Amino acid sequence: MFTDKVELTDFEKMDPEYRDLLGRVLAIQADCEIGGPHLYLEQILPNAPTKLDQLIVARTAAEEIDHYRKIARIAGDIGVDVSFVLSRSNQERFVESFRGQITTWEDFAVFGFLIDRVGRYQLEEFLDCSYTPLEKILPDVHKEEAGHIDFGTNMTSELAAKGGESKEKAQKAVDFWYVKGLDMFGKSESYRSERYRHWGLKRRANADARQDYTNEVNPLIEQMGLQIPDPNKNRLYI
Amino acid sequence: MAPQAPNTEVLDEHLKEVVTALTSAVNWAMPHLKEPKIVDKAIHDCQEILDVVMEGKVSEWLD
Repeated sequence: MFTDKVELTDFEKMDPEYRDLLGRVLAIQADCEIGGPHLYLEQILPNAPTKLDQLIVARTAAEEIDHYRKIARIAGDIGVDVSFVLSRSNQERFVESFRGQITTWEDFAVFGFLIDRVGRYQLEEFLDCSYTPLEKILPDVHKEEAGHIDFGTNMTSELAAKGGESKEKAQKAVDFWYVKGLDMFGKSESYRSERYRHWGLKRRANADARQDYTNEVNPLIEQMGLQIPDPNKNRLYI
Repeated sequence: MAPQAPNTEVLDEHLKEVVTALTSAVNWAMPHLKEPKIVDKAIHDCQEILDVVMEGKVSEWLD
């Protein structure tokens, strides 16, 4: 297991597998950061329930664009150009959850509650990782993602608490995003995941991270009075 | 040291300006939620900026 710390100046000397995996994970992370705003801005910014909500949507997008910028800078500094993800269509996104469009406030809320939470898990994989420039940007990005998760969680909770049609719509959104969130952790038996951990670029096996996520999110869904969806229904990766 | 990808710095600077403009518009409006003109202007400004980012014509930003 590789335990050294790697600075930008060391990057060229690293094993080709390390360089390839770092470039790959940065491209995927950049794609996910900019993929969020591409999912929800068109429909949700003009149609959010209140002016305050519209401002929160704009601020959330600004923060995600800034996260993209920080990741793109780290990638660019090692010669990996990730600007192509700024102009690709949603259907071309690396991660399935970002292909499509969010058109309802319930989906926007649950996206924050469940999918931004997966994003937090992905960022946590880089805590104390071997590539120092990546580790350095984490505190601010992590803090802002936590704000998105809190907003989504509180909003989902409010929608569920209203009961009736509002609760039904919240449940429908949870049913949709829950399995997508579980899939975002990838295959449980993944050779690449093992190599990321070998090189100190990630901390947990996919299955372990997914289990930690489930342990965190299931009680929250129940506290809201919503049903935990079938974790095996419509899954792409087990 | 690894050779930097083309346009890394200029894109970084451009997006910093974008984020600053968005954050300024939101922060300017937040204390004025009961003043529709101010809030509507801020939302409109954010919408305009974000439309350009979402369009993703990177080469035009870098001209």
